Amino acid sequence: MQTTAPERAVGVGGAASLPGGGTSRPTRDRLSAIPFLTPGVALVGLLLLVPFVATVYQSLTRDNGFVSSFIGLENYGRLLRDPTFGQSLLNTLMWTIGTLILPVGIGLLVAVCTNSMPGGRWIRYAFVLPYALSGTATAVIWGFILRSDGALNQAIAFFGATPPASGWLLEWPTNTIVMILASTWQATGVTVILFMVGLQAVPPETVEAGSMDGASGLRLFWHIVLPQLRPVTIVVIGMSIANSLRVFDLIWLLTKGGPGAVSETLAVTMYRQTFIISDYGFGAAVAVVLSIIVVGASWVYLRQQLKRT
Amino acid sequence: MNRTHGMTKRWSTAAIAVALAATLAGCSQGSASGGGDSGGSGGSTTVTLNGDRADFAEGYSLAGDALKDITGFGLEARDVPSTENYQQIIRSSLQTSSTTDLLKWWNGYRLQELARSGGLADMTAEWEQAEEKGWVNPDTRDSFSYDGKVYGMPMYKSYWVIFYNKNVFEEAGITPPTTWAEFEDNNAKLKAAGVTPLFATQQAGWTSFIWFEEILSKLDPEFYADLMNGEAKYTDPTAQQAMEIWSDMYAKGYFTAADVAWDNEPALLAEGAVAQVPMGTWRNGTFAGTGMTDEDYGAFILPPFDEGTDPSVIVESGVISVAEKAKNKDAALETMANWLNPDVQQPWVDQIKDTSANPDVTTKDPILQGVLDEVGSEEPTELVRYWEASPPALIEGGVQFLGSFMANPSKDNIMPTLKKLQALADTEWANWKAAE
Repeated sequence: MQTTAPERAVGVGGAASLPGGGTSRPTRDRLSAIPFLTPGVALVGLLLLVPFVATVYQSLTRDNGFVSSFIGLENYGRLLRDPTFGQSLLNTLMWTIGTLILPVGIGLLVAVCTNSMPGGRWIRYAFVLPYALSGTATAVIWGFILRSDGALNQAIAFFGATPPASGWLLEWPTNTIVMILASTWQATGVTVILFMVGLQAVPPETVEAGSMDGASGLRLFWHIVLPQLRPVTIVVIGMSIANSLRVFDLIWLLTKGGPGAVSETLAVTMYRQTFIISDYGFGAAVAVVLSIIVVGASWVYLRQQLKRT
Repeated sequence: MNRTHGMTKRWSTAAIAVALAATLAGCSQGSASGGGDSGGSGGSTTVTLNGDRADFAEGYSLAGDALKDITGFGLEARDVPSTENYQQIIRSSLQTSSTTDLLKWWNGYRLQELARSGGLADMTAEWEQAEEKGWVNPDTRDSFSYDGKVYGMPMYKSYWVIFYNKNVFEEAGITPPTTWAEFEDNNAKLKAAGVTPLFATQQAGWTSFIWFEEILSKLDPEFYADLMNGEAKYTDPTAQQAMEIWSDMYAKGYFTAADVAWDNEPALLAEGAVAQVPMGTWRNGTFAGTGMTDEDYGAFILPPFDEGTDPSVIVESGVISVAEKAKNKDAALETMANWLNPDVQQPWVDQIKDTSANPDVTTKDPILQGVLDEVGSEEPTELVRYWEASPPALIEGGVQFLGSFMANPSKDNIMPTLKKLQALADTEWANWKAAE
């Protein structure tokens, strides 16, 4: 893989040295590529970059939806002083770590354990089916389960135990943890599917060769199978990071970020400030910070991983 | 052949592009909440109304028919089911030509916020006309005004009462209380009978202010009004006492868990799992919708905490305003001049099962009649609901702190909660005044 880049560089250099009438071929190629690129660039510009620039500008204003005035970086200063923002960052971090460990770990485990197990597909269905539900439906189901008068506490009481007095959704960090578990229930399906695709792409010869060399069980998995799952793992982890950073629907429907903003993540803070409190400038500042974190984390992660492959 | 095929393909692509552009343009037109210039039968002007209450659809239709008989203008109502989305749509469309002619809003500071943006039409003349005809209580004018001008007509007049399950009360051998001591005694008996005496939840966000408001206003109505207007502090002894009463009631196990779904409230009352529910009379229709009749449930105004304190009741009015940039502004203003006409109000309130802001309009609903009779005999001081009684940013932040208190209603949490509320009040009142 490491030889690809120099080869490509030589190829480009070679093309540049070709004789051409007036304009060299790469320049012509580049110019002729413009019409093909324009629609895509225009769409990205229109749908992503223009709103982003507008949001950055809005974050520098005091805006209640009716009137707006430029106030510089004041909203960012308020962000730094706001204890809710710190709590929101902490919760976002908890979500990111939780999402990395649970759906990715459980997804890999389920895919590997059921790959060659007879009837394994039925176990996989149990994990994959919740993925077909929307975040909203998931929240409604888990709301029935987790509320103080919900199914979980009724089940605990049925078996003679005492449900926790504080409630699952009313105290931090319990509420954030149970919501991460609810999200895991819904999100594990896609990681199972992706890891299954990865496992099926592993050439059986490599596993056979490993077996013949005396490797088995965990050792075979660790040294032969897992390295070959690397490309799909990069995708799964990348998706999990991005999803965990922008989690919203589940939290909004289960706790609305409360009680008293203790279970808010950055996406919820952004929504509440913008659409509930109508402090559009402050909400935009949260949006900008969230965008920087999502893009930054994805960029650093993908750059690191793609460099290694 | 290839050339022809290529030409065909290009034309197809162009046709698709044009169709797409037309669709997008259509979407942008369709997504606008604007009012039509004309519509309805015979090409007469139809006034458009936007709101966030899908359950009012039939009521709008009946009121619209009555209004058309009087003004000749039709009424076409549309709804955005989510209150949050609805507010966002109004904020972004009010100052544009895509606004509806009429819009549902809230009275008090929420109306003032909209009025001072310049987005609402002055309805002072229409209000005064209604006042002259005796269609509206002149004392309520401030609640619909900003800077001396009226910007909205009351949509209904809801009283905040305690709805109770009559069957549960009968089984527990109790009657609606006339004093706070009786109220406490009732709660103890209900608790002993294995019924949760009172509904309370912070699950819907806004619902966390209800008990704070009820207890504080019954403890000292004047202090409540001062606090809401920024003339008293959340950390004052009266507010502390209200929180202590609330905390005591929690300690006695009188309330439902703080995360019970608000949507379950009517079912819990109907099945008798909860005996009493504090709510505006605007929810009466929902309670009736569970199949309960006046033999199953009733309503009473919560008595004052001390017998010497003046009785009070929290009052709330939805508002209908006219957009300054309404396409049919004149027709919309004329429609609003007749909104409180008894011929319009009677079918409207009969349908939505609430009380009218027009004192001449009666109700056939026995529950509401009971409330009106109690108001008539007790003559309680009418106080603006917490939701509309202070600047919106203070209220939205305040309900979060109160929700947090409901999750941990211990005595130790009273002062930290009140201090946070006061700090928020200091900031938001300063912001509100700075924007004047």
